[in-house]
Amino acid sequence: MYKILISTLLLLTVTVPSYATNFAGSIKNLEGQVYVKRNSADIPGDKGMKIYIKDTVWTGSDGSVSIILLDNTIFSLGPDSELALDEFIYEPANKHFSMLVRMMKGTFVYLSGVIGKLSPESINIVTPVGTISVRGTRFAAQVAPNQMTINNSPATTNSTE
Amino acid sequence: MKRLHNTLYLLILLILSGCCSPKNVFVLLPDQDGEVGEIAVSNKEGSVTINTAGATISTTGKNAPKEVRPLSKKKFQKLFANALAIEPLQPQSFLLYFKSSTTDLQESSKQLLQEVIKAIKQRNSLDISIIGHADRTGSKSYNITLSTKRAKQVSDLLVNMGINPQYLFVDSHGEGNPLIPTADNISEPKNRRVEIIVK
Repeated sequence: MYKILISTLLLLTVTVPSYATNFAGSIKNLEGQVYVKRNSADIPGDKGMKIYIKDTVWTGSDGSVSIILLDNTIFSLGPDSELALDEFIYEPANKHFSMLVRMMKGTFVYLSGVIGKLSPESINIVTPVGTISVRGTRFAAQVAPNQMTINNSPATTNSTE
Repeated sequence: MKRLHNTLYLLILLILSGCCSPKNVFVLLPDQDGEVGEIAVSNKEGSVTINTAGATISTTGKNAPKEVRPLSKKKFQKLFANALAIEPLQPQSFLLYFKSSTTDLQESSKQLLQEVIKAIKQRNSLDISIIGHADRTGSKSYNITLSTKRAKQVSDLLVNMGINPQYLFVDSHGEGNPLIPTADNISEPKNRRVEIIVK
């Protein structure tokens, strides 16, 4: 009985992480102010830093950063930009793919990876003004900060000073 | 009074920054290998697709996305210079092939190692995956050992060529992940390989 329990536990520890892991990619290059918002804490970005599902990557007025996801999709962000990785599934062996990314504001360059080639319909890139669908491609986007963000920003600046 | 002041200030700012130029733009670019794909932008009001390099879509979010005149080169550079400058080269994959049941590289694959080094240097790569594979000649466990040895052999070669082992991630898939699926005990040269992915 114990043997079965132990082997089941072993099996769980071996198999579960490969499915339950939220690891989605890492920071390749960065310059200036770059932060990763994770569980509502802002962590300073770093070369090679791992990016997880539900992370939001954002840059300050002098910042820029590029992220390579596990399937080789690349997002590059210019200054004052914000990108949220809501969903990412890359299981080529099961042909199971999903990517949901929100470009909230700023400038971006997107470059397709393996998902973009094998299953472009699994990619959803959402902005406040519309949704972008891709077919094996690269594009640049500027997303204006919305009215709410403009009105809010002086207040946040004051409170931190 | 102060509010009026602020409004005026905001108006001047808007005019100076070019109030009527599109705020949300989507520009299709050639891939790094020069190919051009396709993007579509859609919202509640409509949808538009572009498929030529430089083609540009704009929308306020309240109107349907539409194709607009491409930005001038100067304006495009001004908007995207920082994002483009930080964009890395796309990761590159290499396949190295082996002689049957050995960790000896095929002659052509030996020469490919120089290309691997070049790709690592171009990218300042800190993330190089080396994955060993075997064909289905021999038992499963034999092939796990063999594919591990193959990956280790390639890793050693790269270290000898000056690559920091700290950035090499060695893994092996035995006979379980063939390029060309075969029945058991079939010799398939294309499956006797090590894959290197330079990120």
